[in-house]
Amino acid sequence: MQDNRAQAIIEDLLRKHPGVKDTGVFFDDRDGCVVLVVPDDRYLENISGRAAGSNVLSKWRKTFDLSQLTKEAASAPVGFNTIGWNSSYTRQPIHTDEIREWVENTVRDILQLAPKTVYEIGCGTGMLLMRIAPGSKRYAAADFSPVVLNRLREQLRTVPALAERVEVMERSADNFEGIDDDSFDTVVLNSVAQYFPSAAYLTEVMEGAIRIVKPGGHIYVGDNRSLPLLPAFESSVELFQAADAMRADDLRTRIRRREEREQELVLSAAYFLSLRHRHSKLSRVDIRPLCGRADNEMTRYRFAAILHVGGEIKASSQEEFLNWTECKWTLSEIRSMLMAHGNERIGIKHIQNSRIEKDLAALAILRDAEDELSAAELRQRLEQTPAQGINPQDLIDLESEGLGFSVILSWAACRLDGSYDAYFVPKELRQGITSPAIRWPEPEAREFMRLANAPGQGKMRNELIAQLLTHCSRQLPPELVPREITLVDTLARRGGSNIDS
Amino acid sequence: MKGKTEIHDFVRELLTNSGDDEPLVDQDSLLISGRLQSIDAVEIVVFLEENFGIDFTRIGFDREQIDSIDLIYALTQTTAAGN
Repeated sequence: MQDNRAQAIIEDLLRKHPGVKDTGVFFDDRDGCVVLVVPDDRYLENISGRAAGSNVLSKWRKTFDLSQLTKEAASAPVGFNTIGWNSSYTRQPIHTDEIREWVENTVRDILQLAPKTVYEIGCGTGMLLMRIAPGSKRYAAADFSPVVLNRLREQLRTVPALAERVEVMERSADNFEGIDDDSFDTVVLNSVAQYFPSAAYLTEVMEGAIRIVKPGGHIYVGDNRSLPLLPAFESSVELFQAADAMRADDLRTRIRRREEREQELVLSAAYFLSLRHRHSKLSRVDIRPLCGRADNEMTRYRFAAILHVGGEIKASSQEEFLNWTECKWTLSEIRSMLMAHGNERIGIKHIQNSRIEKDLAALAILRDAEDELSAAELRQRLEQTPAQGINPQDLIDLESEGLGFSVILSWAACRLDGSYDAYFVPKELRQGITSPAIRWPEPEAREFMRLANAPGQGKMRNELIAQLLTHCSRQLPPELVPREITLVDTLARRGGSNIDS
Repeated sequence: MKGKTEIHDFVRELLTNSGDDEPLVDQDSLLISGRLQSIDAVEIVVFLEENFGIDFTRIGFDREQIDSIDLIYALTQTTAAGN
């Protein structure tokens, strides 16, 4: 049967299911029949009987309120209240040295944007505010938790010099009431988006942020959890916690449950890249892995998105990138390469990320492992897996070795192997530009189809997929029954009815 | 006033909604063990506020206070005694 005919039959059948708002079917060489479905939200809610949206926000608000009602919160140092920062691996508080490094690196990145008038959404108890506000002319700080803001106000009273330039506001992230267009040069959302109920809510927030930032300014969205790497993260946590005797089939069940239970919004970098096409006010979007020597879930699995508002797009012509996978250069070979090409720009793409290569190897072993394989045996196999990648921080540190290069990293390509890209610019060519425009490798088109997860909806979405597969298998000839169905938020259509893939 | 059985049933429902069908005894750690997430603690707090009149803004909050059915029950008893 011709692809077009099969496509029409499958689409027609799926549209008859009450859980389907829209659907698109297409065929590609790699995956064969690809079936995308935009679910009907009301149908999903009826499957679970759970209210969404505002309920999620009010739960998070209460979570943060409670965290600040503890004795530890009352005695936390000014500007360094780390209550609630627990490791997913150990479930214990993350060491304060690691949080300090994370804060300082985040602040350094934001200060590079030269912020003078700042609007921070989700300011919390002021870890960033206390470090950035002293150098700014105006700092407006918003948060939805009244208890958290009371802690912040207590802390501000101990630093009177800041009081006159800091305005504290209790409001939700999507509330931009009373804020004029183009009134700030920087909007900051750091470690905040994961508490939003959906990508649609984040989009409302981003639209407000884009409106209030003046041309030449920036929106810094930091500490986002990575969707392409979510399976590796979930499995690494479960493997870390597993007793030696736990079998692979039990581990796989626990990982699936963890995915279904995921309560936080997890994002693909492609989400932020896609904003460029919808907002002419954005000139470019940079995606960076987090800096840091600490080995934790932030440095392994989180990224920052820097949105440049207005200004010219000065990206040079298409840069050439050497492909790391062809030669697998070591750090020392890259250093030698830079020394030998002192006055040239050098780009390297697809650099294996040593921070997560063991986690990815574990995921690959676990996917194919026999059910009886124990966690102890899996760990032994991992010990035998050679490490080849380079830690992104090692490349950043080359900058301080006097080689004459600035180092810029990108994680925009959203590859499932977690690899990243690097660009080395001779300092004399940088000419004082803090953040030079570079045409980075971008995600493949398919990565733009899944921009975010649906927090707290895993179980009901899996239930809908199971219903749809049954619906198809009962009414279609076997050769037309799709093997997989992917739920997506929207379908981009080109011209007539073709999916824009 | 509700009792320990209601607390047990409520926690059991929370666990089931999280996909946890493992056996539950009154001494089991719920939050520190990771069986429930921090956002689930909110459900327990709201349950205690609504059914036992506990005011956490007055007594403060510590997740260890509500880490097992026994601890939750003890909290309802001491708070009730304090009232």
